[in-house]
Amino acid sequence: MGKLLLATLAVFLAPIVGGLIAGIDRKITARLQSRFGPPILQPFYDVFKLLGKAPMIMNPWQVLTVWVYLLSSMLTVFLFFMGSDLLLIFFVMTIGAVFFVMGALSTQSPYAQVGAQRELITMLTYEPLIILVFVSIAMVTGSFKVSEVFAYGKPLLYQLPLMFIVLGYALTIKLRKSPFDISACHHAHQELVRGVLTEYSGPQLAIIEIAHWYDVVFVLGLCALFWATSAPGMIILLVVTYFAELVIDNVTARMTWKWMLQSVWCWGLALSVLNLLWLYAG
Amino acid sequence: MDILVFATVVLPFLAAIALLLLRDKGSRGLIVVGTAVVLAAASLALVGQGAFEYGPKSILGISLDGLITLLDFALLFVILVIAMTKLKNPLVAALTAIQIVGLIYLEFFMMDHGAAKAAPAMFADSLSMIMVLVISIVGSLICVYALGYMPAHEDHLHLARSKQPRFFFYLVAFLGAMNGLVLANSLLWLYFFWEVTTFCSFMLISHDGDETSVKNATRALWMNMTGGVAFVFALIFLQKTGTGLYLSELLKPGFSAAGAAALIPLFMLCYAGITKSAQVPFQSWLTGAMVAPTPVSALLHSSTMVKAGVYLVLRLAPAYAGTMLSGTLAMFGAFTFLTTSALAVGQSNAKKVLAYSTIANLGLIIACAGINTPAAITAAIVIIIFHAVSKALMFLCVGTIEQKIHSRDLEDMRGLYMVMPKTTIVALVGVVTMLLPPFGVLMGKWMAIESAAAMKYMPVTVMLALGSGLTVMFWARWAGILLSTPYPKGVPAEPQAGTVRGPLVLLAAGAVLLSLFVPFIYGGLIEPAVRSSHKAAGFVLDGFNFVNQQGVFYVYPLFLVLGVGFYFAWKQARKVEAADCVGPYLCGAQSPGDDKAFLSTAGAPVGYQASNFYLTWLFGEERLTGPINMVSGVLLAVMLGLLLGGVI
Repeated sequence: MGKLLLATLAVFLAPIVGGLIAGIDRKITARLQSRFGPPILQPFYDVFKLLGKAPMIMNPWQVLTVWVYLLSSMLTVFLFFMGSDLLLIFFVMTIGAVFFVMGALSTQSPYAQVGAQRELITMLTYEPLIILVFVSIAMVTGSFKVSEVFAYGKPLLYQLPLMFIVLGYALTIKLRKSPFDISACHHAHQELVRGVLTEYSGPQLAIIEIAHWYDVVFVLGLCALFWATSAPGMIILLVVTYFAELVIDNVTARMTWKWMLQSVWCWGLALSVLNLLWLYAG
Repeated sequence: MDILVFATVVLPFLAAIALLLLRDKGSRGLIVVGTAVVLAAASLALVGQGAFEYGPKSILGISLDGLITLLDFALLFVILVIAMTKLKNPLVAALTAIQIVGLIYLEFFMMDHGAAKAAPAMFADSLSMIMVLVISIVGSLICVYALGYMPAHEDHLHLARSKQPRFFFYLVAFLGAMNGLVLANSLLWLYFFWEVTTFCSFMLISHDGDETSVKNATRALWMNMTGGVAFVFALIFLQKTGTGLYLSELLKPGFSAAGAAALIPLFMLCYAGITKSAQVPFQSWLTGAMVAPTPVSALLHSSTMVKAGVYLVLRLAPAYAGTMLSGTLAMFGAFTFLTTSALAVGQSNAKKVLAYSTIANLGLIIACAGINTPAAITAAIVIIIFHAVSKALMFLCVGTIEQKIHSRDLEDMRGLYMVMPKTTIVALVGVVTMLLPPFGVLMGKWMAIESAAAMKYMPVTVMLALGSGLTVMFWARWAGILLSTPYPKGVPAEPQAGTVRGPLVLLAAGAVLLSLFVPFIYGGLIEPAVRSSHKAAGFVLDGFNFVNQQGVFYVYPLFLVLGVGFYFAWKQARKVEAADCVGPYLCGAQSPGDDKAFLSTAGAPVGYQASNFYLTWLFGEERLTGPINMVSGVLLAVMLGLLLGGVI
């Protein structure tokens, strides 16, 4: 029962935390670029404004797909904080990712189409890595359950240092940070406009933003699993990781999707295999 | 018992003969629908009866063993004659001749026909019954669909004389052969039905009679005939080592303790299964089979033929458990899963995407058989069931779509909702049930990856993880482009023959409902099947959720939350009105009145086009097929080499 309560609480708090993270992200990024930056609550102002707008869409499928995306992201967070099965959680998250792309593909817009294809490539890039991270966690703790990670008693980071880097790749892609902001960039680029998001506006865009906050909370939760033994440890690990993400975002340029697919698969696989071999030997 | 086995195995053959003799449309419809109903009912009744062993000795005073042997030779001679006269293909002729010689040697020089039978000729446990259900129900629905499909198909070809009697003869006989195959305990009977399916598939693939279909059918024939040769070799080998030619003999505990003497015939039988399941490097026969009329593809890919291959591999799993053969089979299956998923990404031909996806799923099943834990075997059976339903559905959808838009290219299916709304929705159900939770195929994939991780088969898990990512890519984009429409107003009604719509709707409903009832199917059929082969269950049902040491899969909580959420999302989408909808964003340079064009500086409309990424530079057939065939050929050779070398 306690688990269900915690999970329900997480579903309510996750968008608030996710929105705050987005606000702090924007503030720190601005400071790194010698700008003042928006207020920390700006993401919430943006979302509320979007929610109040009249819908402007191309077809009803878009409405259907954004709601399913939000639903799946909420369920992902719920299952995660319930201490459920990591692989199952991942597949539930896939529902949202697939519907999100379907919504973009359902429009006849050339920019959304290209963005959706690129979003598929990013999914293709990070999905195997996340599965491998889960598999390696299961090899250490003997189970795919999140609750078993907490019962394990030692930080996973000691045994899975390279897998943490692999997860970092997935995190960067999921946060849409450079050099992997390939399907939809925070800044509208000429050839892509807003990519997979191009044809979403008003309330639909707000829903996507909220769903994205849930996703961010989930992926950061995954990072926190690597130091599950103490709360300060988790927080420090997350702060350091997120700051590293910001620095990477600011010092790298957006790369091509071919480069992303090849380099991330090569490095991700090499690191995973090395780490798993090390686990075997150890 | 007699009557049920008769209804599932012999009746389809009798119906097939009737279909050949009664050429008019009315009796054909009556016979096919009648057979379908009887088959489905008989298969359900068979399940109700529970496990059985059955040793029919004779029919009308003729010894059945003798009859099967006679038919075996007759069938092989027919193939030999076809190979020498019509095909003029020395390879097929040689492979057939080898089997004839081998069989003569086995039957007349090795076997003592007077000896008492060591085991009954037929048996059924839960695995056989699951197969009978899949074959009899999904297969029958496809035959019914063919009733509506074939007339339109023949109209298109402008035939002087309908070839439908012949077509339905092989189609319906196929079901009988498959049921015989999965109920056989005697390996000689199994071999006979095995060859019947090979022959039927050859006749069905070459049905249209043009150059390509004959060529592709010949390829299917010779590839499957190499499996037949391996089968005969395994029989001779087993007879030589004094093992009775029965599955039950191979499955006796401790059989594999004999070392190479046991593993070599097991490998040969698995090899036969691999050819029949079109695993790499034999994938080209199944992708070539798509030249046949769609019901044939649907039948070969979902409930019959390829499932015979994985059935045999899965059936033998306890016999090779714990041996090197098991581990290498896991590698081999995972390799097929990864590579054919990659090939599917590179395809824009919808039937080829489906074909590669079939091969990938079969690879996953073989990988599970190789992992060989109770949980992995559960995964394999779950995938067999749910893949059959969803894949049959997808093939029938593509066939229906092709008859309407005269193309099977994904790019031509953009905005299909505006042309065929009902079929589009059915196809979407097919994609979603193939890809996403809480549906059965995904559940099988979840079980497969978790059991691979539990066994710490690192290369297998890595390949499964990569392959899983690739699957998402080709399914998701297909689902998306079907919907690629402006505000759907003036969507036409979509009239369709009942024999086409019926199977489509039934399969779509089946794909969803079967997943809903998966805990009951598990408790009633899958768990007993796993228990009978592996002495333990892979999962415990805890409040209808699948639980084991490794993890947990929530069935009803997911169904409930996702179902309610989806309903809500659907309601929200229904509220959208035409007034809310606009054209696409084209940087403010829309051509007035045309959403599909920019306005150039000269004021002329300039159209645009977007299409899928197929990544052919990475995943194209031309690029991958050669290396894949080489690696998989080497894998098979290494497996055999290790066995022959006695390094076990």
